[in-house]
Amino acid sequence: MTSIAATASSARARKLVGVSRRQWVGLLYVLPAVALVTVFFVIPLGMTAWMSLNNWPLMGEHAFIGFDNYVAILRDNRFWNALKFTFYYTVIVTIAIFAVAFPLAIFIERPRPLTNLYRTAFFMPAVVGFASASLLWSWLLNVDSGLFSPAALDLGLTEKKVNLLATFQPAFWSIIAMVVWKVAGFTMIILMTGLQSIPQDLQEAAVIDGAGPFARFRAITLPLMRRTLALALILSVAGSILAFDQFYIILRGGPRNQTLTAVYWIFNQSFVSFKLGYGAALSMVLLLILVALSLIQLWLLRKPEGLD
Amino acid sequence: MNSMIAKLAIAAAVIGCGLQAASAETANIWVRADGSNFMPRIVDAFNKAHKDQIKLDIIPNAEIIPKYGAAAAGGTAPDALSLDLIYTPSFAAAGQLEDITDWAKSLPYFSSLSPAHVKTGTYKGRIYGLPFSADSSVLIWNKKLFKQAGLDPEKGPTNWAEIEADAEKVNALGGDIKGFYFSGNCGGCNIFTFTPLIWASGGDILSEDGSKATLDSPQLRGAIDLYRSMVKKGLVPAGAETDVGHDFFAAFATGKIGLSPSGAFAIGALNTQYPDIDYGITFLPGKDGGWSSFAGGDNFVVTKGTKKIEVVKEFLDFAYSLEGQTILAKYGSLPVRGDIAKEALKDLDPRYQVAAEAMAKGKTPYSVVFNDLINSANGPWTQMINEVFFGDDVDGAIANAQETMQSIIDQAPQK
Repeated sequence: MTSIAATASSARARKLVGVSRRQWVGLLYVLPAVALVTVFFVIPLGMTAWMSLNNWPLMGEHAFIGFDNYVAILRDNRFWNALKFTFYYTVIVTIAIFAVAFPLAIFIERPRPLTNLYRTAFFMPAVVGFASASLLWSWLLNVDSGLFSPAALDLGLTEKKVNLLATFQPAFWSIIAMVVWKVAGFTMIILMTGLQSIPQDLQEAAVIDGAGPFARFRAITLPLMRRTLALALILSVAGSILAFDQFYIILRGGPRNQTLTAVYWIFNQSFVSFKLGYGAALSMVLLLILVALSLIQLWLLRKPEGLD
Repeated sequence: MNSMIAKLAIAAAVIGCGLQAASAETANIWVRADGSNFMPRIVDAFNKAHKDQIKLDIIPNAEIIPKYGAAAAGGTAPDALSLDLIYTPSFAAAGQLEDITDWAKSLPYFSSLSPAHVKTGTYKGRIYGLPFSADSSVLIWNKKLFKQAGLDPEKGPTNWAEIEADAEKVNALGGDIKGFYFSGNCGGCNIFTFTPLIWASGGDILSEDGSKATLDSPQLRGAIDLYRSMVKKGLVPAGAETDVGHDFFAAFATGKIGLSPSGAFAIGALNTQYPDIDYGITFLPGKDGGWSSFAGGDNFVVTKGTKKIEVVKEFLDFAYSLEGQTILAKYGSLPVRGDIAKEALKDLDPRYQVAAEAMAKGKTPYSVVFNDLINSANGPWTQMINEVFFGDDVDGAIANAQETMQSIIDQAPQK
């Protein structure tokens, strides 16, 4: 998106001095991308915005109602609760992912024996789709026919079968474990490329100056990884705010509706309560929140003045 | 231009057919996956015997509603569909269905059609849906385990105390064997098998017209206490607490469960897939006896404005014939015509007679927001049953569900 915007604006700027043939060719190259974005992003977004201004049932006639849907959102406590839970989940899971992915990235960054094996092993779960991974884990977590509970019983860790999904804390942390297992490998690869782009001689110079490992990490590694961290952070936060599959497939929003996420609530309103217009309005609100969050993150992790 | 060509083509086709009044037509019908056993058989039988044809599409259970909504919006809806009966009021309220009152009342056997289906098929005094397939709720027990536990294997429980006592005896066999099973996190399963316990004791969860939630009845509280007590005594497997319906039937089919509320569908499924399990079947009893049943299954509804309505009526008429009812019964649905039910079932497993009797007196709650209230995995009913069966605050959970249900009913579109 940004690259398209940048191309477009720079093309406009140069129009003043005459557009060269080369630039027309360049524009031609981005046309397919522009078409894709238009068809699969801009148009659906426009339709969603329009739907959100209508009373649009799944069946039957729709009618224009202005901003009534948005007014209704203000009173929709269950949506705000879902949003609160989504934020809570996002904070916890993002910290957990980084806590696992960063050490792993440092561990596999430099070539040493078996590094390729470790890299593959850590990255492997990332190639499984979220839905498939959720199905796998919902079996692993099943109290009677799964793995964890019967194994704990056989190993003598518990006295009887414990249904991990029946109460909030164990259920929530089971999901966190599953997501970290699934996503940390991907974040690790991003962080690893960041680590590898730090010039080796900077580190060596610091060693000569007598800086310890912690000081080097704080003064060299972290600042030089700002952009990589920003990328990994935005991906993680955006992904978590939109979380749905794992809560739908493994927990169905349970136990007792304590793990309903924002997207889950949108899905429910649209396809269980058949209120598509209202679902569209909720989607627009969530989109705005997501854009705002991403802007804040980009601003926080912007390149400090004077650096390189 | 295109429409000109189309009109010319139609005109040519009509002339080509000469003056034959009724050239063969094909109507499109959808059914949810639950009907994938009996529906193709009955469509085949119809197509073989008639000039007009039916084209059948089988749609996954969870997708049929959104898919139909999208198709209707795009003008590609099927001519008719077999629809979970509880959705008929909300479909009719959306103005999506053809009013078939006059035709329905002209049927000579109209008064013997499943009353629960006809009731849910009626909206504001007009009929929009007629019964197609049927499923009643019953209690099934494992005869082998009953024998091992020293119980009479031919006698099922007839009141709540007996349910608990029998479950306890079976549970005492130990090992993996448990006394009782229910899906503790499945709203649809429990409206089907838990509310009959309440109805049979004289209570209800919704008022007759669906305008009031009545969860504060003592009969509901009593039935909850029965389930709670069995959970507390360890008669129910730990997995029941989070079962969203996957093991609704599967748990009993393992042969390690003494008693389980279930449906008529279980007879066909056990007979064909688990012939080794010897089971008995009885009514879901009230606290001190009596019995009740949920009337489930599908209503047949016609999409508003379809041009194939004559074919659709021809098909439904065939389904209501003795031949049609017999095919349905043989492949997993109960007959929906009370006057010929016995005859349609006469060559089948005698246990079907119990289910058919339950069906005839079956009951279906009426609501235009049934999905929101009951079936939704996140609705107030599902949340409440899970809290009251396994949680600590029964009164709070009931009060909360009562309030949420009433507010959903009050916010429903009034047309």
